[in-house]
Amino acid sequence: MKTENHKFRKILVCCGTGCLANGSMDVFQALKENLGPDSGIAVETYVKATGCNGWCEQGPLVKIMPDDITYCHVKASDVKEVIEKTIKNGELIKRLLYRDPQSKKRFKSHHEIDFYKKQHKIALRHIGEIDPASIGDYLSCGGYQALQKAVGMQAAEILTQILNSGLRGRGGAGFSTGLKWQSCARQENSPKYVICNGDEGDPGAFMDRSIMEGDPHTVIEGMIICALAIGAEKGFIYVRDEYALAIQNLKQALADARSFGYLGDDIMGRDFFFDIEIIRGGGAFVCGEETALIASIEGNIGEPRDKYVFPTEKGLWGKPTVINNVETWANIPVIILEGAENFASIGTDHSKGTKVFSLVGKVMNTGLVEVPMGTTLREIIYDIGGGILKGRQFKAVQTGGPSGGCIPAELLDLPVDFESLAAAGSMMGSGGLIVMDDRTCMVEVARYYLNFLAGESCGKCVPCREGIRRMLEILTRICEGQGKEGDLELLEELGETLQIASLCALGKTAPNPVLSTIRYFRDEYLAHIREHRCPAGVCRKLTEFYIDPELCNGCGLCKKNCPVNAISGEKKEPHVISQELCIRCGDCINNCPFLAVKVK
Amino acid sequence: MQIIIDGKKIDAVYGDTILETCRKADIYIPTLCYHEAFGGQGRCRLCMVELEKEGQKKMVAACTYPITEKIEVRTSTPLIKKTRRNIIMLLYKRAPNSLLLQKLFREYECQDNSLKEDPAERCILCNLCVQACQEIGSNAISLIMRGTDKRVASPYDEASEACTGCGACALICPTAAIEMVEEGNKRTIWNKTFELLACERCGKLYTTKEQWEFTAKKNNACASDRQLCESCRKKAVAEKIKAYQAAEH
Repeated sequence: MKTENHKFRKILVCCGTGCLANGSMDVFQALKENLGPDSGIAVETYVKATGCNGWCEQGPLVKIMPDDITYCHVKASDVKEVIEKTIKNGELIKRLLYRDPQSKKRFKSHHEIDFYKKQHKIALRHIGEIDPASIGDYLSCGGYQALQKAVGMQAAEILTQILNSGLRGRGGAGFSTGLKWQSCARQENSPKYVICNGDEGDPGAFMDRSIMEGDPHTVIEGMIICALAIGAEKGFIYVRDEYALAIQNLKQALADARSFGYLGDDIMGRDFFFDIEIIRGGGAFVCGEETALIASIEGNIGEPRDKYVFPTEKGLWGKPTVINNVETWANIPVIILEGAENFASIGTDHSKGTKVFSLVGKVMNTGLVEVPMGTTLREIIYDIGGGILKGRQFKAVQTGGPSGGCIPAELLDLPVDFESLAAAGSMMGSGGLIVMDDRTCMVEVARYYLNFLAGESCGKCVPCREGIRRMLEILTRICEGQGKEGDLELLEELGETLQIASLCALGKTAPNPVLSTIRYFRDEYLAHIREHRCPAGVCRKLTEFYIDPELCNGCGLCKKNCPVNAISGEKKEPHVISQELCIRCGDCINNCPFLAVKVK
Repeated sequence: MQIIIDGKKIDAVYGDTILETCRKADIYIPTLCYHEAFGGQGRCRLCMVELEKEGQKKMVAACTYPITEKIEVRTSTPLIKKTRRNIIMLLYKRAPNSLLLQKLFREYECQDNSLKEDPAERCILCNLCVQACQEIGSNAISLIMRGTDKRVASPYDEASEACTGCGACALICPTAAIEMVEEGNKRTIWNKTFELLACERCGKLYTTKEQWEFTAKKNNACASDRQLCESCRKKAVAEKIKAYQAAEH
């Protein structure tokens, strides 16, 4: 296989967090070193480190342009071959191309793959294509043109565009961004503030991280446009401290934006001053709640307050404040540049545009995906995600972060939008999608999330602090085989009190993982309580594994891997698990290629 | 402006909270974290009431909801009663040896259940002690940690330089959770021991040296000001007035 002979080749190395963890920086360095001016290679090359391509499962990813080749799982030791064959001669290296596990077919470009074909990128439009540390790259793909356009518009026009686009906050609550900006613009109190909420704290979520790392200028441009529309002079980007690369790239981007005159005095020749400061969060999940975040910037304890008066009226230091999530900001330049109608044509009646999801869990293609609102869960999990790992059964998908709900297989055709998810007892949240297979115990899942929330509740209000603690107490005892009759009713009653009386959205939504699993998996709870049995084989005290002699062909894999030598049997003969020795780690059931290990 | 509370028309001041308006109108709403000196905090959520606005119903905390438009408020629906009962139950389970919570548990006819009780805990984290300390100007204690680990403490649980041992925190605490021990002429609170001063008039030990100095500085007192306990100070003032009146006649 050979592509055309090009005189110039651009090599894009994914340096998103997932790929970096798998050694993409070594790949990038090796390419840089071997393709320097002294390398004597006839082809002119340009090596770039980009943000997250989203296809983390296959990383480190290297894309070669204009051939449009995507190499997967590239190691530094592959670099010499890549240069010799592909860069110099346009020859494809078959083993580095993606191989579809079902059809066994290899694909030259990521554009040909289902994972990307069904996606529609707006917020992630530049990520993976540009070098986030280069303002030149951002400018070359239309960066700051939306600001240029906005500078020529009346403030009211900008507000109308955002309102008509139907954009709703991507941080979780889904409030109309246009209404928020309008409300703040109407306030006579000054100064006004613009805040970017980058305190992404959901376990398994990395949407905002990828945007801040991979395309920081789009967030900055969105914020400047807002400042122009509402009359703000100062902005803050609140980033969780663990996001070192995001902070580094944002700092660089802010410095570049200042030197290019997009921030500071007389922006784009207009009598308009605006600048942005980065605030590093202290690592509290609750500081993603906007009023707690504001308290944190002010230097106070990160506790939310009742939002009967919105931050648009009384926000940071009591002044009118617009606070939006990273992904929301990333949509703004596109709406201004391409028009509200264009944006509103994507999505459903009430949820416009696209949504970025971090697709993780027991799914083939884990990674970052952006799809139009209204795409069904089935399309995301099966068409884009490639289905469930190891041929197991899909059981549930948890949407919306730790306080989202678990949606069962019956609802796989649910369109993903704000209203549908809420009706199903879950929520959009900031866009986490955790796929679970039949090896997942739904009671344990609920316990896990409540445990997370018990530590991350700010502890200010009684229902959230005491309620979560008590719901966790009940779930823990159910998982340990100490569940009592009436426990489900008590969980439901406490859940209702939390939803009604908690101060902020953390407490109001904290019962979701419990109530949704009781709603859809009540039998599993009852098996724990009444039969002292964990049907998924996860809760150790309630689990007993056995090998089905009909299905076992004696391959010996389980016996070899068992950490306590609890499995015995001759080669090619059915094996047996000793209940006395077994510690219920689940290694055998997770790895049996013939699904012969069963739960009693 | 006029709003409707429990079916009655009530006069309300624009910007006042529902709770303040109810207190003025003698409508009872239970609270645990509210003190009129500090305003609403929205912590205990015992004051949840039902609000109806433009046909939409929602539950809000009466202590933080400002009245800015025509609303209808209901302070005691079955759902409110159930919510309050559950909040009391949760707090009782946290601090079962608090007399206040025991009383409320009975009053609200809470049902006992299988949840564990913590016999050692008394604090319900209403934050009134922290607010009192702030208001006095010492800022010696604060809420620390978060989630289920949240508690009130002096910095690093050490004797705080800022603490004057005034005991306002212990006085305002609704559940007697703050330990203030007095032995001889010593008072111990928040891991710090203070020497108590005697009233120059009656000899009663009434305050700490640190508090007297703190207050004297705050009030620009002169060196000649005597150290008097609360009742002797009142007597002294009364005597001054009498002497003044006598001189006038």
